Amino acid sequence: MAEFIERAKFSCALGGALTTIAGLPRAVPIVHASGGCAAALSNTYNLASGYRGTGYCGGTMIPTTNISENNIVFGGEDRLKEQIEHSLEILDADLYIVVTGCQVEIIGDDAVSVSRQFRDKKVVGTNTPGFLGNTFKGYDSVVKLLIKEVIKQAPQKEEKTVNILGIVPGHDVFYRGNLDEIKRLLNLAGVKANTFFGTDESIDAISEYGKASLNIVFSEQAGIESAELLKEIHNIPYVLADIPVGPSGTEEFLRRIGRELLLDKEVVFRVIEDEKRIYYSYLERIVDIYSDIDFQRYAIVAADSYYAYALTRFLANDLGWIPHLTAIHDIYDEEARKLYLKKFDTLTSETKPEIIFEEHAGSILKEVRKSWPYNQNQKYYDALGPAFVVGSGIERSLAETIGAGFLAVSFPVSNRVVLSKGYAGYRGGLTLVEDLITQLVAAR
Amino acid sequence: MGNFVEGLTYNFLGAGAPPTREERIGACHAFCGSCRQLSENIKSGCANLSDRKFSQSGGCQLMLAVGIVSSLSNVVMIIHSPLGCCSGFVGSGGLRKTMRASKGKKDEDFVWLHTNLDELDVVQGGIDKLKRAILYAEKEYHPEAIIIANGCVPGIIGDDIDSLVTELSDTISAKIVPVHCEGFKSKYVASGYDSAYHGVLKHLLNPAEIYDNILPRASEDRDDKERNRISRTINIFNVGSNSFGDEAELSRLVSALGLIPKVLPLHASLDELAHIGEAALNVSICATHDDYLLGHLKERFGTEYLIDTLPIGIRNTNQWIRLIAERFHLEDEAERLITLETKQLQEALEPLKAALKGKKIFVGGGETRILTTAEFFYSLGMELVGVKAHNVDRFVENILDDMENQELVIEVAAGQPAEELNILNRLKPDIYIGHLNANGWVSKLGIPNFPLFGQQLNFMGYSGAFELARKAVKILKNTNFVKNVSANVKLPLSDEWFLRDPKDNIKEAAIY
Repeated sequence: MAEFIERAKFSCALGGALTTIAGLPRAVPIVHASGGCAAALSNTYNLASGYRGTGYCGGTMIPTTNISENNIVFGGEDRLKEQIEHSLEILDADLYIVVTGCQVEIIGDDAVSVSRQFRDKKVVGTNTPGFLGNTFKGYDSVVKLLIKEVIKQAPQKEEKTVNILGIVPGHDVFYRGNLDEIKRLLNLAGVKANTFFGTDESIDAISEYGKASLNIVFSEQAGIESAELLKEIHNIPYVLADIPVGPSGTEEFLRRIGRELLLDKEVVFRVIEDEKRIYYSYLERIVDIYSDIDFQRYAIVAADSYYAYALTRFLANDLGWIPHLTAIHDIYDEEARKLYLKKFDTLTSETKPEIIFEEHAGSILKEVRKSWPYNQNQKYYDALGPAFVVGSGIERSLAETIGAGFLAVSFPVSNRVVLSKGYAGYRGGLTLVEDLITQLVAAR
Repeated sequence: MGNFVEGLTYNFLGAGAPPTREERIGACHAFCGSCRQLSENIKSGCANLSDRKFSQSGGCQLMLAVGIVSSLSNVVMIIHSPLGCCSGFVGSGGLRKTMRASKGKKDEDFVWLHTNLDELDVVQGGIDKLKRAILYAEKEYHPEAIIIANGCVPGIIGDDIDSLVTELSDTISAKIVPVHCEGFKSKYVASGYDSAYHGVLKHLLNPAEIYDNILPRASEDRDDKERNRISRTINIFNVGSNSFGDEAELSRLVSALGLIPKVLPLHASLDELAHIGEAALNVSICATHDDYLLGHLKERFGTEYLIDTLPIGIRNTNQWIRLIAERFHLEDEAERLITLETKQLQEALEPLKAALKGKKIFVGGGETRILTTAEFFYSLGMELVGVKAHNVDRFVENILDDMENQELVIEVAAGQPAEELNILNRLKPDIYIGHLNANGWVSKLGIPNFPLFGQQLNFMGYSGAFELARKAVKILKNTNFVKNVSANVKLPLSDEWFLRDPKDNIKEAAIY
């Protein structure tokens, strides 16, 4: 059973569904719920996902049945039908996705059946009440719906085509930049990547995703249900991978995919060598200032499992910061925690971080204090500093409290604007260095 | 203005939650037509009985309710619901920080908890979890108050929050305040204000005890001074859309009359709330927000109140000052103040008027705010082409009747950008002023716009009037942003919809 959470860095299943739909090209949600759910949830991602905006048909534009107390008593299926009919006339889309809120699921409305009546008009539907779980549940509900209803059967697979799962639009604030970079790198290695939410996607293109021969899932919390369904319905196997941030992560990622798809080793080697050379040709620029005033920091990472390890690895293995503490807030299962801990064996830094699983945002400060000898006002005190917090927007006050530098990367991010940038791949590694070091020179 | 609240009563604290606005006041939330038609429909009662065939997402009373109570100092919020309700907190913590900073208040972390209700809780109830969350909040943060706002799920499954509050209130030091604001309960999001104030009134307004002084006559002297102070004190009730600039300007005007302004209740500490009864007059600046609070305070403390216009623009600021002054027999002082202020302001506005003259304007948002804002721009020589109100109720009936152009287009809708953009596409205003979450769509339509309120904007009083005019002029100095956006970003609305009459979307409500 889920327990209460202090300052949860999530919305609910409906929120996850809406942010996922907002990431799909020319898709329109039709929300069967009370009037406020859709705009409020959409707005969560508008403001807390680097000002991503509400999208093509988000926020107050989202068609909603707007059910109220009398529907709770008498049911709201007729209202949903009326709403779908008018949405089809008024809104222009390639796919209409009916999703549901708590109210109508508790009273037992069958929204999926109602939406089936409109299947020939590009309408599909799924159940996404908030109480189903967090953002990730909604992501998987929508992607599974696409797998069932949109993606066509394709017995003939394309050897070098992959589908990307587990990158949740909006919840990964940098999802589009990340997807575009992963796609670029895979293209360099001769692999076509289907991204659902990246640049130049369309509902038509998504319908052909059944041709892929491998699914890459970048999260252990989101996308696995979808990958399992793709395996079941479309016979496509999947592999789990970590989001590659910077040279060491990306190199490992490319080699891994090379092995899975039996790519020409020489081609993969060339891509890695070329990209690494470019990476360091740019990185060279900050070597002077980095060394002249010592930009090495004790790193405290607070993020979801999608970013926590990837960022820690980059900071430790690539940038040479001291990984001190990494807090992960979205793994509840003991076994999954043990598996996740194993990832950190790859860290090459002399110092290894303490890893904690903590879902209450307020507790991280206590953990940081516990992690270091307390200041007893002694004459010589070896302080935890200079430190830098890479977390979500919520950790800003943590950074302020301990006098550390701060960059928000993991959801929510509301103190910066994010358009095309991402942190994946070689280019993403450079962007992350830019953003980290910018914080250190911003006052100059 | 007594007629605004005629027949309304405010004695609902015996109940767990206040009546919804539908029950208590009655309001129209779906209308497209002219001011004249709307007036007629309100008088005949038809206005309250309409609904939409195609509806879009608007507000939720939960958001408005927590907007009020989460601003209070040193409180922890518990959202008793799944994770989605109020998930927007993740993006608004910074706004609370900057707002407090602008008011010179101590920075404090905003802490909230979600009970994170799941499928099992829907079956078994979520009260135990809520109890653990309350105890956690008390132990970890020992706030002055723990405020529980509940979403739809506990409302439908019937969690008995009030009993839990009673059970725990003697065992922990924080005051526990339940706010019942299930979104499905009301189509009028403003019901959320009543829900919030219901909780505040019931659980947080405990007047401070006054002890006798042991020195001879000291208590009497003190009481005399207090009575004198209170007889000159007015409470100005701020709202979420106020900036500190607004509060400073309104306080300045009230002080100019020789009165003592106190600004409440947003961002106040519980101690400040405890002294809310110490005033000679409670002044609302927006009836939509606080008639429930002011009406109740009158019943509880006997404090007279004033619910009239919003002090936006010259005419309405003048009126606001006059009505306050009247209560204290300061008519002459008020006239002197008004004469001085309007003279200075008019001189300052003169150069701005040239840029605005004849330009078409459309205003959308809360009923009183849009009508007063529209009046101001009209007075500057702009052409008012239409207005859109979230809802319309008795508090603006007379303003509607006073509108010079009775054929003016008015839409009543909370959100509903499809209808609004259809109307705007026909009216083609030069400038649009709108509520949060509306302006982005208007930009995509290619109409220059600015927000109807904002933390950094001063809208109210004379300084606000100048700022408003200045902003409109500024926006028109370069309109390339919206031109580029509209030429390159597509709206999701079909071409056919723009040809249809938006009125056709309004229908008679199936069940009121």
